[in-house]
Amino acid sequence: MPDYDLEKLDDYRWQIAKTGGMRVPARLYATEAMLDDILSDDAPQQAANVAHMPGILKASLAMPDIHWGYGFPIGGVAAFDPDAGVISPGGVGYDINCGVRLMSSKLTKDDLDRRDTERLVDALFRRVPTGVGSSGALRVDHATLPRVLKKGAAWAVDEGYGSDADLDVVEEGGQVNGADPDAVSSRAKERGLDQIGTLGSGNHFLEVGYVAEIYDETAAAAMGLHEGHVTAIIHSGSRGFGYQVCDDALSDMDKAMNKYNIELPDRQLACTPIDSPEGQKYIRGMRCAINYAFANRQVMAQNTRLAFEEALDLTPREHGLHTVYEVAHNIAKFETHHIDGREQEVCVHRKGATRALPAGHPLVPDRYQKVGQPVLIPGDMGRYSYVLVGTDTAMSETFGSTCHGAGRKMSRRQARKTAGNRNVTAELANEGIIVRGESRRTVTEEISEAYKDVADVVEAVEGAELSQKVAQLRPLGVIKG
Amino acid sequence: MPSAPPDWLREIDHTGDIGLQVTAATLPQLFERAALAMFRVLTDLETVQTTDTTTIRVDGRDRVALMVRWLSELNYRHTVDDVLYRAFDVRSINEADDSFTLTATVHGEAIDPARHTVYTEIKAITFHGLDIQETDDGWGVQVIFDM
Repeated sequence: MPDYDLEKLDDYRWQIAKTGGMRVPARLYATEAMLDDILSDDAPQQAANVAHMPGILKASLAMPDIHWGYGFPIGGVAAFDPDAGVISPGGVGYDINCGVRLMSSKLTKDDLDRRDTERLVDALFRRVPTGVGSSGALRVDHATLPRVLKKGAAWAVDEGYGSDADLDVVEEGGQVNGADPDAVSSRAKERGLDQIGTLGSGNHFLEVGYVAEIYDETAAAAMGLHEGHVTAIIHSGSRGFGYQVCDDALSDMDKAMNKYNIELPDRQLACTPIDSPEGQKYIRGMRCAINYAFANRQVMAQNTRLAFEEALDLTPREHGLHTVYEVAHNIAKFETHHIDGREQEVCVHRKGATRALPAGHPLVPDRYQKVGQPVLIPGDMGRYSYVLVGTDTAMSETFGSTCHGAGRKMSRRQARKTAGNRNVTAELANEGIIVRGESRRTVTEEISEAYKDVADVVEAVEGAELSQKVAQLRPLGVIKG
Repeated sequence: MPSAPPDWLREIDHTGDIGLQVTAATLPQLFERAALAMFRVLTDLETVQTTDTTTIRVDGRDRVALMVRWLSELNYRHTVDDVLYRAFDVRSINEADDSFTLTATVHGEAIDPARHTVYTEIKAITFHGLDIQETDDGWGVQVIFDM
């Protein structure tokens, strides 16, 4: 275990002092019980490495689901001064605007018997392509793709996938400005043509579940979450398009670093000044990928509704499946925050971290103004997920950010070894959870034991007052890659 | 399931991702073996034939960038052209001051779902911890993939 100069600030906050080339300290949010696990890999060192980057403000932050990444840790948050700071593709990640949409319905768990759930999961599996290199839900041509890249989820709505009511409750309204398709390589575009509406592989999933427990009646009611009601969670991102945008930018920036005299402990942290040609090109391309992911999830959301209609023979009015909220957890954005007592625009990087705005913030949709922005924290496929809301503390301490999920504790190979010859699909079916996976190997790699208990992560962000619990959801059926 | 790794390859487990440590007698062989090790992660190489041949040329500002570009190029072609490669022949590595170039021919075939299983998706080849070292016995490299 590396020897960190770690100072306990309180029961949920730990600080790595500023040493060597660090420009600011690094701060970890975790309970004492989680600390050994967190310190056992290099993630805290990665948080300290991020603190070396030019123009970083306040502290390099690590959420309680922090784990080893490449360059930035997963669960890392860093904000940069727009004049003196940098933009870093590695601070966003390859899966640009990977995120989570939560939908809720009028149906209750008791309305679905086992055969209904099986039919529903099968219908989802047919309508939402999953797995390695999944494609084919919807193919666009080269003339159409730029509209997707500029308009995001609004493009999908224009094409008949969902409605404006969905857009009202997506982060950024499902579309960021400043996306420039000319800033994106032909390779990225090629990869983007046939992957809209697809889930992908790895930890991406689409889950049907139900509201198991409510902790905050007022907030839950505002979100249309009622105990026992059926929900759907979609976790996916910008697919091959986003990976390519990141890959291209890392290569550009790796070449340009010398020019700007930026020296960093890890080349994967490659970055250039925000206002440099390389930085601006990345920002314009990243915004295309952000919009691509918004469009991707919007199409999948509508196909989820169609699966409910087909499998359960219901009309839209009968199932009432509506979007509660959609968050992005791999993203860089310009936002207004308080720095040294004064309001300032900063460039916030969230890599495996979720925006968590408090009640009353102007960017929170009208219907959530009194309760705060919903935050969606998926757990593993066998246990539970949480809905939280943002707080004033998150706004003042973490640039309005909180955790994003459970975080793995086993490598994929270790998970396969642990599962051995177990039939994971049958085990989950015994617990009432229907799983359909394109690959048995992926399902095995995603066993519950491979993940930390998301309840611990949520306890830490609640203890630190970065978010508050609203509801717990439990799974009924899952489709995986 | 994949067979046991050859003695020149060590697979490193990371919580989210996969890393490889490769050794070789020469620098071209290091690049060839790194590519072979990457495709071992993606599929069972025993099932892949070498019916198609392609020439690949990549450049980078140093050896590390060249390794990232080389593996990224192969992964891109695998992803977009739906091919699997199992044999790699690095013809030349030219090292100038600020522009390193690699030329290779690679051999494989189109993915046939009836014969090939693609185990996983490599999102990207990262620069993280990537280090190419010349040792007394030859060369070594560590590469980490984002899965």
